[in-house]
Amino acid sequence: MNGDAAKREAASGARSVACPACGGRIVARATGYAVTLGCAHCGSALDATRPEVELIARHKRAVAKFPLALGKRGYLFDQYWDVIGALKRKDALDIWNEYLLFNPYVGYRWLVEYKGDWQFGTMVLDVPEADADGIVWRGERFTSAGPDQQVTATCVIGEFYWRIKAGDQVRCVSFERGDVSLSCEVTDEEVNWTQLVPIAAREVQTAFAIDGRKMPGRRFAQQAHAATGAADDLLAMFAVAGIGAFLALVVMLLLAGPVSRTVGSVNAPYGKTREGVLIGTLEIKRDWQLVSLKAQGQDFDNRWVDIDYSLVDRRTGQAIGGYGLAERYSGVDSDGSWVEGSRGAETLLGHVPRGTYDLYVDAEAHAWPIDATLNPDGSVSMPPDGSQLSTWAQPDAITMTIVAETGALPSGNWWTVLVLLLAWPMAILWWRHEND
Amino acid sequence: MIACPSCGADLGVRGTALPYSTCGYCQSLVVHGAAGPEDLGKVASLPFDVSPLQLGTRFRVDGIDFLTLGRVRWHWQDGAWNEWLLEAADGTHCWLGEAMGLFMLTAERPDLAQDPMIARFAVGVEIKLGQAMQVDGHLLRAADIRRAQCVGSEGHLPFPTLPGTKLTNVDFRSPDGLILSVQRVGGEVTAWFGTIYEFADLNPRNARAIDGWTLPAYMQ
Repeated sequence: MNGDAAKREAASGARSVACPACGGRIVARATGYAVTLGCAHCGSALDATRPEVELIARHKRAVAKFPLALGKRGYLFDQYWDVIGALKRKDALDIWNEYLLFNPYVGYRWLVEYKGDWQFGTMVLDVPEADADGIVWRGERFTSAGPDQQVTATCVIGEFYWRIKAGDQVRCVSFERGDVSLSCEVTDEEVNWTQLVPIAAREVQTAFAIDGRKMPGRRFAQQAHAATGAADDLLAMFAVAGIGAFLALVVMLLLAGPVSRTVGSVNAPYGKTREGVLIGTLEIKRDWQLVSLKAQGQDFDNRWVDIDYSLVDRRTGQAIGGYGLAERYSGVDSDGSWVEGSRGAETLLGHVPRGTYDLYVDAEAHAWPIDATLNPDGSVSMPPDGSQLSTWAQPDAITMTIVAETGALPSGNWWTVLVLLLAWPMAILWWRHEND
Repeated sequence: MIACPSCGADLGVRGTALPYSTCGYCQSLVVHGAAGPEDLGKVASLPFDVSPLQLGTRFRVDGIDFLTLGRVRWHWQDGAWNEWLLEAADGTHCWLGEAMGLFMLTAERPDLAQDPMIARFAVGVEIKLGQAMQVDGHLLRAADIRRAQCVGSEGHLPFPTLPGTKLTNVDFRSPDGLILSVQRVGGEVTAWFGTIYEFADLNPRNARAIDGWTLPAYMQ
């Protein structure tokens, strides 16, 4: 960092430190409040309460990537917010992202992204009152949204005003009223309540200028309208659910339509993008079809590959874009050896209209940690310490095989439909069983 | 004007009955005794933080006007926080604790110092997490116990803030956002009772400008 940048940082209340684990630069924005810093380069947990940050837990794995980057500023609910922290958290069923927002004149807020749906969170200081039927908050009744869950932080980057590191657990229980929920988190020391209100993904994307390709997709989640009828006739509900699921399968098969397939490959070089590699041609013979794009690499580790797809209509020259990310990391730490990610990536393009398309890809490979040493001449050196990361041992590109297919059947969606269709009758069955 | 006995700089507007001032120029801690201001030694300069307050920031809460006169910063094992000394229009003093982007406005409650638990705390019998206190019909429980050291001060304060000054602070909280801070500095125990606010709820004026951020017009 040069002197001017240092002055700018000091003036704006930010300060930057070098990560004691990986040397990467960490910028802290909520100076004076921050307690924990999670290195955005290597995920190590640092103690920010001392003038010289101290290492709490060393990690060598690459950190997960978040669609919303640390340091971004956005305008939501009539205020500007800096994204200062990001968490991945999981319970028994799911994994999701949470972002800590900060404005020195307003305080802290949360953005929670769960499978493409976003919520804006505010800490609640007037705690709800609990009774047997749920809770009452500000005169309104909220009902339980399910049993309590053990929630684990799996990735922690940025700065936080309390002590937190990957692996930390809290008990979490949620209550709902309409589309507002109240979430309660309990640790040994504290109980925290947060009010969560929905916010449109489009609004978050616009507010923080997030690249559309990085926005998490919404899960195809149709409500089971068929099951909302005769609540007393359980058998009929199961029949309706079964017929509904069968019809959904038939409709999906019909929509999927005839299969057209093309296979090719692209060499993704490190640190620069190979552009415009033609993979092949696809025919869409229906009014529209789904297109599945699969990318698969071999034998790479602690690397990731960004793939941009362009499906160009030969007649109009219009392109339909998509984005794929294959990332795989491994290593050994105090818990033994670990592996994260996959060398393959699947991208689905919905609603591609009739026509003949050429599929082009741009691809770029990255080593972790990225930009560890940027030489004055602009070339990039791999980190010297990681034996796996030696430039000599690695080829200069990762070859990705690309398979593009029309008529792909989104089988995951069908299972979702089946589960949703069966949820009501199963819940009633269980309820009856419990109350017999 | 009261001049710093060490460097001669103006020590600024002094509130009622605040015996200690920190010189903003030479970091001398000054006591205002019967024989005039006396230099007690240097205090540490405050590390930069992004607090939206500064000396001179005004607040209006429940129809009462407050002026910010001093600050002491405390450091404990899990971080640091600011305590701002506010003087109300009637000359009484309040603390505005600043932590986690939230603000705890508390007024002294000398009557609570008579409580047996607090009286024992004054002679060194520690309070345990979860212990209960009844204040004005509200049940509060000890939610947070911190042993802290002074890491700097500015403006005018009721006690000396030389480096190493130790504080034991016990925060009792109620479910509806009330707070009781019991503070032991030296052998003196004081009890402070109030409410948690967000900054804007305090109707601030003359808030501090922070580069990179626009100071909202209604806080100027």
